[in-house]
Amino acid sequence: MQESLERDLIDTVNPITASWNFLSDTYHRLGSPREFYTISRYTTPIFGILFLTLSLIGTYFGLFVAPADYQQGDSFRILFVHVPVAWMSMFIYIVMATAGAIGLIWRIKMAFVVTICSAPIGAAFTALALLTGSIWGKPIWGTYWVWDARLTSELILLFLYFGIMAVYYAFEERKVAEKATALLSVVGVVIIPIIHYSVEWWSSLHQGATVFAEGGPKMPAEMLLPLAFMAVGFMFFYGYALFLSMQNRVLENEHKSRWVREMVIRQGKNNELVRFFLHGRLRLRGLDLLGFNIIGASRICDFS
Amino acid sequence: MSPSQKKRFAIVGLIIAGVGAATFLAIMSMQSSFEYFKTPTQIETEGFDSKQTYKLAGIVRKGTVRRLDDGITQRFDITDCENDVTVQYTGILPDLFREGQAIVTIGKFVDQPMLIASQVLAKHDENYVPNEAADAIMLQQANKCDDTDGPIKY
Repeated sequence: MQESLERDLIDTVNPITASWNFLSDTYHRLGSPREFYTISRYTTPIFGILFLTLSLIGTYFGLFVAPADYQQGDSFRILFVHVPVAWMSMFIYIVMATAGAIGLIWRIKMAFVVTICSAPIGAAFTALALLTGSIWGKPIWGTYWVWDARLTSELILLFLYFGIMAVYYAFEERKVAEKATALLSVVGVVIIPIIHYSVEWWSSLHQGATVFAEGGPKMPAEMLLPLAFMAVGFMFFYGYALFLSMQNRVLENEHKSRWVREMVIRQGKNNELVRFFLHGRLRLRGLDLLGFNIIGASRICDFS
Repeated sequence: MSPSQKKRFAIVGLIIAGVGAATFLAIMSMQSSFEYFKTPTQIETEGFDSKQTYKLAGIVRKGTVRRLDDGITQRFDITDCENDVTVQYTGILPDLFREGQAIVTIGKFVDQPMLIASQVLAKHDENYVPNEAADAIMLQQANKCDDTDGPIKY
């Protein structure tokens, strides 16, 4: 008692120690499915609101305030979606592979859940990056698609995400499936530097880096600002979609544990969650495979 | 970390290092096949095979764009500021096509040092500039080879 009081006293004095303790404590709490479920029920809507606010501001400045490009005119504005989405396709992979490695080394249940729930979101971002790039390519380059190093390596990333999703559903035993998925995502991480440096190592039709170029961004601040808003906004979308998806999977993984059962009983028989447990499990799993688990999760979230 | 965690940490590290090294070696051995295009200087030094299809990139040399009598065939020189290759193309050029613009042409050399292109693509660079500065930038691009004579990057 005395010791903890002393520690509290030190914490209030030193803000760095205090915030480190808070972060470390939160990290460890998030490692438990039950704690994660409780915390994420509060943070998920905040992520959603931040995503909406930031991306709406970014869209407004991108479409109406940023000046047109000197040679592309208004068609350059697709970069406010294309560039953040392409960044996210790689960022999500790095998060997914890191979580996979943490899961493999420290055997943390929730790390596997992060890996598995990130895959469909990452795949969606990758597909969007390819699609928006293709729409831009036709008027600017004069073609929808070429087999240059950047485009091809990004396409490989999409197939890698599909492979990771497929591996998880290929195993009957959940623990085996989790390990196999984590291992594949760790092995596949070599694609990330290849995608990033593809435009430097080899000649390609795709241009080099604009924002993280040597000697600062090769883009005026009026264009850079909306891009930054969109990038941070999409980051929050990932957090939002990931947490919804993880809540769904935590309930499914832990459906035999006491805290889930007690929560189900508290909700009563007419509740969405109860029906999910009585009848809906198989159906939701089917939806899950298509990457639609966000829809399932948002329906469960309605109970209070 | 406990001993078993340390062991698993080492295994994961070894997997990443192994896969990384294997990928690196594979990429190094296939280096040239990842290149999307060749430059006029490469054609000059390596020569060309008249049966092969080439992807050749360069900037459009100032004052070389001319239209042939049939009205839809264009001839122009592309350059890396050191060597030039003449390209002939029948069809609609991309919107971004102009003097000083980097482009990729795809076609064959039919027994002469002129590329008969079946496709011309504009290679957009990494610079984004507001509309007001358009004229100055475009002039600067068209005169790019005046100040340099080594091969330039694009």
